[in-house]
Amino acid sequence: MENSTEYDVVIVGSGIAGAIVAYNLGKAGKKVLILEAGPKVPADRSAYMETFFKANAKTPESPYPPATQNAVPSTADNPLGLPDPAKENTPRYTVLQIGSWRKPKQSYFDFTAQPPNLQGDSPEAMFAYGSSYERIGGGTTWHWLGTSLRFLPNDFELKSKYGVGVDWPGGKDFYNKLVPYYEKATNEINVAGSKAAMDKLYEQFDGQSSFGPDYDYPMPEIDESLVDQAFAEKVSSLEIDGEPVYLTPTPQGRNSRPGERRQCAGNTNCIPICPIQAKYDATVTLARALQTGNVEIRYQHVVSKVLLDENTDEVNGIEFITYDEKNGPATGTGTVYGKKYVLAAHAIETPKLLLMSKTEKFPNGVANSSDQVGRNLMDHIMYLAWGLADKQVFPYRGPLSTSGIESVRDGAFRSKRAAYRIEIGNEGWQWATGDPFTTLADFVFGQNTTQTNGSKVNGQGKSLKANPNLPDNSKLFGKELVNTLNDIYTRQLRLGYLIEQLPNETNRVELSDTLTDNLGLPRPKVTYQIPEDYVRDAFVSAKEVSTEIFTSMNATEYTEEPGKPIFYPEEGKELTSTNFQYKGNNFKFYGAGHIVGTYRMGTSKENSVLNERQQSWDHSNLYMVGSGVFPTLTTANPTLTIAALANLAADSILEDLG
Amino acid sequence: MENEMKNFVGLSAVLTGFNESIIAPGIDPINIKEEYLAAFIDNIGTALCNEILSKYESLKAAGKTDREIGEGMLDDSNGDAFTMACRKLIFLWYSGAWPTLINQGTATVSSLLSAESYTQGLVWQVMQSHPMGDSDFRYGYWNEEPPALSAFTGNKTKN
Repeated sequence: MENSTEYDVVIVGSGIAGAIVAYNLGKAGKKVLILEAGPKVPADRSAYMETFFKANAKTPESPYPPATQNAVPSTADNPLGLPDPAKENTPRYTVLQIGSWRKPKQSYFDFTAQPPNLQGDSPEAMFAYGSSYERIGGGTTWHWLGTSLRFLPNDFELKSKYGVGVDWPGGKDFYNKLVPYYEKATNEINVAGSKAAMDKLYEQFDGQSSFGPDYDYPMPEIDESLVDQAFAEKVSSLEIDGEPVYLTPTPQGRNSRPGERRQCAGNTNCIPICPIQAKYDATVTLARALQTGNVEIRYQHVVSKVLLDENTDEVNGIEFITYDEKNGPATGTGTVYGKKYVLAAHAIETPKLLLMSKTEKFPNGVANSSDQVGRNLMDHIMYLAWGLADKQVFPYRGPLSTSGIESVRDGAFRSKRAAYRIEIGNEGWQWATGDPFTTLADFVFGQNTTQTNGSKVNGQGKSLKANPNLPDNSKLFGKELVNTLNDIYTRQLRLGYLIEQLPNETNRVELSDTLTDNLGLPRPKVTYQIPEDYVRDAFVSAKEVSTEIFTSMNATEYTEEPGKPIFYPEEGKELTSTNFQYKGNNFKFYGAGHIVGTYRMGTSKENSVLNERQQSWDHSNLYMVGSGVFPTLTTANPTLTIAALANLAADSILEDLG
Repeated sequence: MENEMKNFVGLSAVLTGFNESIIAPGIDPINIKEEYLAAFIDNIGTALCNEILSKYESLKAAGKTDREIGEGMLDDSNGDAFTMACRKLIFLWYSGAWPTLINQGTATVSSLLSAESYTQGLVWQVMQSHPMGDSDFRYGYWNEEPPALSAFTGNKTKN
């Protein structure tokens, strides 16, 4: 393997963070090499589409290699045929693994066993992690939703303003520093949004203005859905913990007008895959980076070690392993060299690599004198609520989400409970119940999984039988089936609460002592709890608020209380993964896909992995980008801020290269 | 059997509530009905398939209405295997997937036949939309009401 070239910068990972750094550096004439563990970006996305169409479980990862399901013959213990991560060169955690998080032959992550004698509401309970990522050219933006909200100024000083979590270095000054980079990021992603709507929102939060007079989004906002309109007409009568409730059109990374990419055609499939690339993904920026002529990418190069100079403590090389087939043997190894190094492998693989790279002098791993590497793993843990409107609202049409309730993301309540934003779904009950096939099965076979085909009554005393003229467990055919299904599908509503989890150093990524992948590299071990009442109280709030919202619009709420948690093996019962009890409620949380916090920035080398320039405290030529740098999760989806921070990091690196 | 496809299409239209022009369009390059008939026979066996299609043929020949034919096909007197096969055929047309009932019949899992069968599922039509991931609509359509249900089913929709 050719080892002699020295690059200005070596980047690990070709997702949005790595691609943006590469593009900025390439434009500035710097020689850049990207190492990507996964396969190359396909010339067109038809093969990914075909895999998606055929997948029975249409999860976020379902279109992408390696196969997430039907990889091995179905068995009673493994009905979906999940692959064995030990036999893959680039295994990754998928949402299908959540249910089998304690089965190492199906789940990529190793886990920490439950402590003894747990009660349903014990803060010590361990859960499956709820979110996933991709290891392919272009990274996880292949399956992102496209939501491109900025964080709020108050998000950057949670500790000093509300007394919880930590501040970002510099607090609100960090936000102000980020503003021009947010503008660069919205331009790179080509965000469609309404400046007026954002100005209104930000004025509410301490009167801070978010956008200068000279800046606007590159594209006008995406049209709202009929679902949005049904909510917007009614929710403005409500207030949540002193904050007004209204809808805001979501700034989103999809084309509202034809441009370099196609205009959104409303395929209602942003996750897992936009069939026409109307939605931005990092392959756009990666292509721009390669077009500079200064950026080179090598695919199927799995980085195995960050090397350190024993005298200077600087990084002095990156080792990799190559492979040809996803399950095949290693085909080579090598080392690449640069003046600066950037880790952009997202918030699980990056800390894994740092921990794998330990030396005698750095026994905790690279960049880990603080012992913070891998810690403070977070995700927006989601509360889902669903119902039927009192009129047709025609979901399953348009982008998956076009509006949200952003007005409750900040307020005095944040000293008492975690904040959330409320995402309005345009996908009916697809997420909530596995529809449309679940309602279909109910009325073809006389089942009642969705509760629409029985005589149950909800908490507000409303019958859940969708058609009061039908007997329980009706089995229909012909026009009666057509009319019943049409009536239910076209009235489906879904709310999702993105609840802000706090940084917690015991929520962490470590290396498994026993499990490896096909290249012999250790797999991540993930320990994940939700111990804080501050966070769990947000579930209670979300539950109450959902009922208020559905009541305000005369909708019938169908949110089903999940079963109580099963933490230990019990005869005839399945272990639960994300169920917990709190204040008399049974809850189940869902991941939001927002993997955050495992190599955070901070104010000192004792409390953080990186300084505010996203540079390692321990090794001055090492930088890290991606959501792992976030000190807190905040109240918005992370990608726009990942992009802004990657632009900022690129400037730091250019400055340091001189 | 003689007229096998004709009877299969007629039966499918009656059971699904969709017009034959949707089940078997005059110009039909995808020809999903062939794939479904093959899967139907594959899953339930030739003998039961013949029995079901013969019954349909005789009810049709007797001049019964669609509703009477459907009730005749799904009548308990036909036996569990017969009626369950008919219901599974409904599920197949709507979803493109062959169903398996689990947990004493209280829940269903299913397996898609192919990429085409997913996009051809009638479930996307009955909700007046498009298969998720395969839209022929244009930007902004979600801001307006869709065409009437009858435009999707090919039938007048009220009984």
